Order: sequence, then structure tokens, then C-alpha cells
Amino acid sequence: MTTIDGTTVKKLVVACDAGMGSSVMLASTVRKQLAKNGVTVEHTSVQEIPGDADVILTHAGLAERARGVAGGTPVVAFNLFLGDPAVTKVVTAIQKGQTIDV
Amino acid sequence: MSEYTPTVTGTGAKARVQKVGGYLAGMVMPNIGAFIAWGLITAIFIEVGWFPVDRIGGFGDYVATDAGVGLTGVGLVGPMIYYLLPLLIGYTGGRMVHGQRGGVVGAIATVGVIVGTGVPMFLGAMAMGPLTAWIVKKIDEFVQHRTKAGFEMLVDNFTAGIVGAAMAIAGLVAIGPIVDTIMGWAERGVGFLVDNSLLPLASLIIEPGKVLFLNNAINHGVLTPLGAAQSQADGKSILFMLETNPGPGLGILLAFMFFGPRLLRPSTPAAIVIHFFGGIHEIYFPYILMKPQLVAAAILGGAAGILTNIMTGSGLVASPAPGSIFAYMLMTPRGGHLAVLLGIAVAAAVSFVVAALLLGLGRKEPAEADDDGPAASEELEAARAEAAARKAASKGAVPAAGTAASPGPTA
Repeated sequence: MTTIDGTTVKKLVVACDAGMGSSVMLASTVRKQLAKNGVTVEHTSVQEIPGDADVILTHAGLAERARGVAGGTPVVAFNLFLGDPAVTKVVTAIQKGQTIDV
Repeated sequence: MSEYTPTVTGTGAKARVQKVGGYLAGMVMPNIGAFIAWGLITAIFIEVGWFPVDRIGGFGDYVATDAGVGLTGVGLVGPMIYYLLPLLIGYTGGRMVHGQRGGVVGAIATVGVIVGTGVPMFLGAMAMGPLTAWIVKKIDEFVQHRTKAGFEMLVDNFTAGIVGAAMAIAGLVAIGPIVDTIMGWAERGVGFLVDNSLLPLASLIIEPGKVLFLNNAINHGVLTPLGAAQSQADGKSILFMLETNPGPGLGILLAFMFFGPRLLRPSTPAAIVIHFFGGIHEIYFPYILMKPQLVAAAILGGAAGILTNIMTGSGLVASPAPGSIFAYMLMTPRGGHLAVLLGIAVAAAVSFVVAALLLGLGRKEPAEADDDGPAASEELEAARAEAAARKAASKGAVPAAGTAASPGPTA
């Protein structure tokens, strides 16, 4: 269990296998949702997750690899590319400055 | 966290296969734009294309420039597939191992395997690029502490130059012919499968592999390089259509829209648009992971599509990436569009029928307490949570689940 403090998140990274397809789509969605919160939203492949990320979103099927790369950074796994509750939870936490467990 | 994805046994192994496959795909995928440029030029300007132009398509006997200089009878098609694409792959492969320096030596070494063979040398580039970069990386690690101040640039440039030159020669003399032989085996193997109508069996590996996020590894790591070589020889290749056919995923999403769990139905129209028109197949993987038996629908749909494509003799000029209907149509050679559409339609129809049956059968047995039980209830729970979150987020009549979360791609 890791905690994410919504107020401290400055950079959110969405990771997928290639960093070119599904992650770009989800990142653009999340970027719009967090436009007013001053959070940088980036997309990468799971191999190239940057070290300065505060939260990493990735599909459950890739979470194991993401955790191997991410070090101590919290990795939030989701299942649906549209409207996944895990993603919604992170976005809401950042918007409202809440602290959540993942 | 809601874990309604069924646990796959041996996830460590899965991650390792993903990693190796992702490595191969990582050399090809950043260069897909170049593949598409080549594919478009080939489809349009070669002798049998829509608008044959000799100096672009590279056929006939002409002089490339009005001034009378330039290479005769070359055009763009040959140089791009023989030199540009393998060099980009070799460069990218080297860069992944050892940054810009690795990319440069990877490209140098790739020239060796290109010249040493008669076929487009993708496989050789995928081997030589990273290998040469790795050698330079090891040498750099060794000499770094031993170099006197002020001599770094001299040492760096000459280690790269010497290793690159040596590996280019090694590629030409030794490694090129070996890779050529392996490519020959692979092509004969594929030819055997096509001739005996065994290629549909490939769906048994491809469709489950896709859902485990091996889609890029399978398509760009293996099929795109083999297909490009075949396309150069025959003008088209069926190998580009094995993994990328949007039909099976479309059928499954349609089945979910009509027969799936009620809470999931509203999100499927948006998913269909993203999958079929946007070409992001990842969008339907979660639907299969929720009901793993649906992989049977994907396999049968994929196999039916391949069989149709074999019977109609279909093929694409270059890899349709991403696997969208638009990319498919743009990469279809002149005169092949109806047959290609048929392959997609048959795949979609078969996977839709099988998925509908599986979803319908699942609902007739509400009290299934076997291994499907926990997965199904967790799925419902997650879907409920999702619905609740949506309700909380936007209190009002939002017709589709997906549209609330992702206005961009669906608009």
C-alpha cells in the first residue's frame, strides 16, 4: 500500500507497451481533466517511465513491468481505458487535494 | 484496487516475454512513419499502382533528374526499403542500448548486413544495431577511466569509428549470409503455411497474445519485418493482416454492446470508434480479460479472417499501423479493397456470433459457482463502482459511459 497525496502530485505519467497508442489516448483524457490543477501529464512506454514522475497509471497487464521500472513511485493499475474507477479516483484526489491509498 | 482481471499464471514469465517483445517492437514502432511513407509511395507510384510514375516508383529506363544527373532506374521504393528502413531500425536499436553513440554505430554496422544480402535486412538490423551498440558501451566503460584529460573526444570518435567499421565488415562477410539463411527459412515456413491453408492456426497464438499486451511484439517485432520483405518481392503480404485485422475486436465489442453485462454496454460505442477507426486495439483487451472465454471468439474470428484473405489472395502493401480501417484502406494495393473488406467483415461476423453465444450462455447460468464465479462478481462490483463514480462525477443524463471520461476521441 502506497499513499498518494493529491496536493503534491506535479507530474502524472500514463504508460503503455509502446508509449504511442493507448497511453496517448488516456493521457489526453486525463490532461484535460487536470488542466486547471497545474499537473504535467505525460505518456511513455513502460520501459521509459521518467524518474521524476509522482504517479504512474498503467494497465493491469503491464503493471508488473511498470513497478520494476518505477522504483518507489506509486503505480496505479487500471483495467478499462474508458471510465475506469481507479483512474477516476486518482484524478479526483488530485482535483480535490485528497490523500488516497493505492 | 479493484482487480477483476483474472490472474494469469506465471506473470513473471509474461512480463519477461513482454519485455523482450517490447524491445523488438521498440526498434520498429518509432519508425512506422517511414514504413507508411514507403507503403504509400509503393501503393501509388509503382508500375501497377494508381498513378505509375517511373522516376518515383523506380521502374523502366529513365534518368532521374531533368539535368541528366542522378541514378538511373532507381526511384524511391527500392532505396527506402533496402536502405532507409533497415538503417532506421539499426539506429533505433543501437540508441536503445547506448544512446546517440549507440545509434550511430548501430547504423554503421547495419550497412554491412544490408549489402551482404539480397533481401530487405530488418532482422539483421534488429540484431546488428543493439549488438554493436552494446560492444561500444562495454568499450566505453573500459576506457572511460583510463583516458587522459583532453583525449576523450579523440578516443570516443575512434572507438566508435573502429568498432563500427569492423562490425560493418563482419556484417557483410559473416552475419549477413547467416541472417539471409534464417530469413529464407522463415519465408519458406510462412509460404508452407499459406500454401497448405495452415496460416489461420496462427490466430491460436496471436489472439491470446494480443490480449496479454504482446500485440506490438508480435506484429512489429515479428510480422512487420517478414511482411515487408515479402511485400517487396510480391507487391503485398498477408502477414500484415494477421495481427492487425480490426474485425475480431469489432465483433467482440458489438457482442458486448448487445449482449454484454448491462453496466458495460454504454461504454462500448465509444470503444468501437476508438478501436475500429482509431486503430487502438488495446481498448477491447479489457473486455476479453473480464470474460476470458471470449478469447475463443477472437481466435475463431481471426482465423476466419485469415482464411478469407488466403482464399481471396489478399495482402497489404505495408503494415497498417495502427490497425484502423483507414490505415487498412490506405495500405491496400489497387484492386484489392473489396477482398480486404471481406476479410475484415468475415472476421467481425464470426467473432460477433461466437462472442454473442458465449455471453448469452453465461447469462443463462446465473448460479455458476465454479472458477468463473469470483471473476464475474468482482467484475460486477467494479462496474458498479464505476457507475457510482460516474454518477458522482456528473450528475445528469450522460448517455455513454465513455463519453463522460473521454470526450476527445469519440467526438
